Amino acid sequence: MKNNRIYEDLLPILRRVKRTFILIQILIVFLLLNFWKIQILDHKKYWEKSEANRIREIVLPSQRGLVKDREDIILADNKASFRASIIRENCKDFDKSCRKISRLLNIEEDVLKERVKKYESFPVFKPIVIKENLSFEEVAVIEARKLELPELILQAEPKRFYPFGNLSAHALGYIQELSQEEIKSGLYAGRRLGDLVGKTGVEKVYEAILVGTDGRVLEIVDSLGRNKGEITRREPKKGQNLILTLDYALQKKAEELLEEKEGAVVMMDPRTGEILALASYPTFNPNKFINRFTSEEWLVLVNNPAFPLENRAIRGQYAPGSIFKLVIDLGALDLGLVDEETTFTCEGKIKIYNEPFSCWVEEGHGEVSLIKGIQYSCNIYHYQVGKKMGIEEISRYAKMLGFGTKTGIDLPGEKAGLVPDPQWKREVRNEPWQPGETISVSIGQGPLLVTPLQIAIYTSIIANRGRKVIPHLLNSRPLDGEKRESKPPFSGSHAVEIEPSTFEKVIQGMWEVVNSGGTGWAANIKGYDICGKTGSTQLISTEKDEELAEEEEDEEEETKTHSWFTGFAPRDNPKIVVTVLIEYGGMGGATAAPLARKLFNLYKRKYD
Amino acid sequence: MQLRLLWQGNYLIYTKENMIDRNLFRNIDWILICLLLLNSIIGVAFIYSSSLYLPESYYLKQIFWIILSSIALFLFLSIDYETLVTYSFYIYIVFIGILGGILLFGKPIAGAKSWIKFPFFHFQPSEVAKVIIILILVHVFAKFRKDYLSWGKGLLGVTIIAVPSFLVALQPDLGTALSYIPIFLASLILAGLNRKIVIFILIFALALGVVSWNFALKDYQKKRLTTLISPGQDPLGSGYHILQSKIAIGSGGLLGKGFGKGTQSQLRFLPARHTDFVFSVIGEEFGFLGIVLIMLSYSFFLWRLFQSVAQSRDRAGVYIIFMVAVMIAFQFVVNLMMIIGLFPIAGIPLPLISYGGSSLLTNYLGISLVLNVKMRRFVNV
Repeated sequence: MKNNRIYEDLLPILRRVKRTFILIQILIVFLLLNFWKIQILDHKKYWEKSEANRIREIVLPSQRGLVKDREDIILADNKASFRASIIRENCKDFDKSCRKISRLLNIEEDVLKERVKKYESFPVFKPIVIKENLSFEEVAVIEARKLELPELILQAEPKRFYPFGNLSAHALGYIQELSQEEIKSGLYAGRRLGDLVGKTGVEKVYEAILVGTDGRVLEIVDSLGRNKGEITRREPKKGQNLILTLDYALQKKAEELLEEKEGAVVMMDPRTGEILALASYPTFNPNKFINRFTSEEWLVLVNNPAFPLENRAIRGQYAPGSIFKLVIDLGALDLGLVDEETTFTCEGKIKIYNEPFSCWVEEGHGEVSLIKGIQYSCNIYHYQVGKKMGIEEISRYAKMLGFGTKTGIDLPGEKAGLVPDPQWKREVRNEPWQPGETISVSIGQGPLLVTPLQIAIYTSIIANRGRKVIPHLLNSRPLDGEKRESKPPFSGSHAVEIEPSTFEKVIQGMWEVVNSGGTGWAANIKGYDICGKTGSTQLISTEKDEELAEEEEDEEEETKTHSWFTGFAPRDNPKIVVTVLIEYGGMGGATAAPLARKLFNLYKRKYD
Repeated sequence: MQLRLLWQGNYLIYTKENMIDRNLFRNIDWILICLLLLNSIIGVAFIYSSSLYLPESYYLKQIFWIILSSIALFLFLSIDYETLVTYSFYIYIVFIGILGGILLFGKPIAGAKSWIKFPFFHFQPSEVAKVIIILILVHVFAKFRKDYLSWGKGLLGVTIIAVPSFLVALQPDLGTALSYIPIFLASLILAGLNRKIVIFILIFALALGVVSWNFALKDYQKKRLTTLISPGQDPLGSGYHILQSKIAIGSGGLLGKGFGKGTQSQLRFLPARHTDFVFSVIGEEFGFLGIVLIMLSYSFFLWRLFQSVAQSRDRAGVYIIFMVAVMIAFQFVVNLMMIIGLFPIAGIPLPLISYGGSSLLTNYLGISLVLNVKMRRFVNV
């Protein structure tokens, strides 16, 4: 070692450095010995322990948001569903436990043992479900015996529950297990196989609002899967509640009135487009879908010839019948083709384009003007006005008044209906338009197709004297305390290009329909200015229309005809639109109108 | 590159003003630098393996810090350590100010006000303070030519250590505060421990321990101490970390489970596995053989450090090298004791290998001081 330390003698402190280094070396050797012990001598012990170290993730299911009507009546609720399970590991004496539990839960001891035996291959610590959907009494009993019976455990899970069963099932929709295909579709990001999601109705449309965030627990389990404690826990977050525009009382009444029939009812506030009742019959019980539906039961529902799953109010497409006559009247008045004074003579029969057409009253209506034409729903009058307008104009006004396009309601699967014109016929059927078809269309027959909801919108445009609204089920008021970020997108409305005074003339006719011995007299309520229009038509597809028309005669007419009524009230500043469709109901005035009357009556008593 | 040119080039005109004398660079201990980088790179590899499933790329950050620290190392070399020692008191005051400042104005990160936030990284001044403490202790002790310590100097040393320790313990970061003590002890060892003083210090430490146990220590700190005694009793409580660490190391066996295949580490049983427990990951994935190899490489590095002491031109140089060596050796030994449950979990990282920029920078600056002393060994004062 070179000695370059000129000024001082550093040897004593260098000695101290050396000693310290030796101490550190000893420590390092000591550490190595420790590692030797842990890694070589105790390796087997730690290897087993590391094998036993596993993490298990448990999902804590979140609650879906509630769905309420406009008065906070809960239409879709969550029910705590409890199930009891047995953990064999915790049994001191298995037979004794079985005896106790069977007495407690009213299960035959043999049945219980049989059930447990089925899961014999399960690890002993894993709970075996022995009873589902426990009653509150049973829950209380189990809870009280918690210490006495550690082998019996309660597991809670929130379950969707529709307290009124069938009520507004079509609007609410139902929830079901997410399928493999739906996961692949990418629409349900972050959801897993077996998660319950809204399949139709508002449950589907507002899935993102309703769905909560599931909680997760990460727990340590050993190689046998026994819980050794929690690492992290994230509590589940409840979904947001949804408030609908539906009115429980009106909805209930509408469904009661439809009972035993096939048909649909729409009640809507024409000022805002808020749907107060949306009924379709036959219906189904959405509660049944939440339990893992057995395929058999499902097939029964799907294959039911009455199609209970179909929401007729938005998906049923029908010919509008006489209700469509108002389109002709509005169009002709707007175009100046007729005025209130213009009259036609109805003799019950007429020949147009060398084809015979008839009015529904054999003896005819005599001299018919606009008001009388609407009041008595005269076919002859409308044939002639329609002929004057021509199909192009009829089609234009029909579209203007909401036909042929979806209304934009916040429900999935809405149908657009059909407004025919020569171009459509050329493109779809590859045939030229027959002039006679224009005459059929003039009274709402022919290839025309509309949904009950479209009729309700059409009625509301008339009621509003030209203002069109978008129907919706989501209430725009804030969700219980929580402010919604933006208003629902259906608050907008736009004006139809027809003068309000033109509407007034047609409304006068509609008033006479109900209040002055017209076809809709059965909807009359004293002291309530209801304006309406009846319609009678067929559901059968239009191609078969003519063949069938030949077959069905007189007495059959009553049963094969669909019955329409649509109306609004009061005449000035209308507040409610009621549209009723009864399949095979017969004449609109006879079946649909009295039904509408009851709904108007209920509305009047409740809101006026 | 620039430095190499300086070192090899003969075109550089030598002037007296030139701080970086090319002759000085000829004397740099490149072996020590290589060992330093080798251990740092081992660290990067295991930070990579242990943070595979973590959202951040810690290993990239570590590489960034290695580059930054290397630059700092060479810049720091240009100042003669004599100068640094002379001005150490002022630097010390500045650092006390910073430590006090973050206590008053800092925002807590993970419960401790230890950090200064920069746009892309956090910086922990309490780590770098170690280098400052080394310099000021040298200032106090190295001018003292007797081989035994006096009361006055001893008390002065205690005060110098106590102020930053107290401030850092308040953050609260007891681990770092405690790691100042071995540096102080190192200076006492060299200064020559009088038996009376040793007894005094022990009594003082005991009294401090009793007082702090009852008044100052937080619950989690107490728990860590009790955990040391019986980690198995409460596997998910405070003993959990040690137990998991031991399971990781023990299950590695002789050859380990393979790089990136440690079930303990990868399944996230192991806490802080890229920082304080990085050596457990090494133990699990490379087994006893890997540990022996890395301990060898580390021991060689420590040996080189301690051996450098003899090449110091003066007492101050010996002090500097020794304190840096003890600082690193202490953390190394304590970290290894910690991960196998021989020492409470005190948040002391494995120098050079654990993830952590401030700690890395501190160790690089320490090594820079050692190189500083070594390369100036032929310069006459």
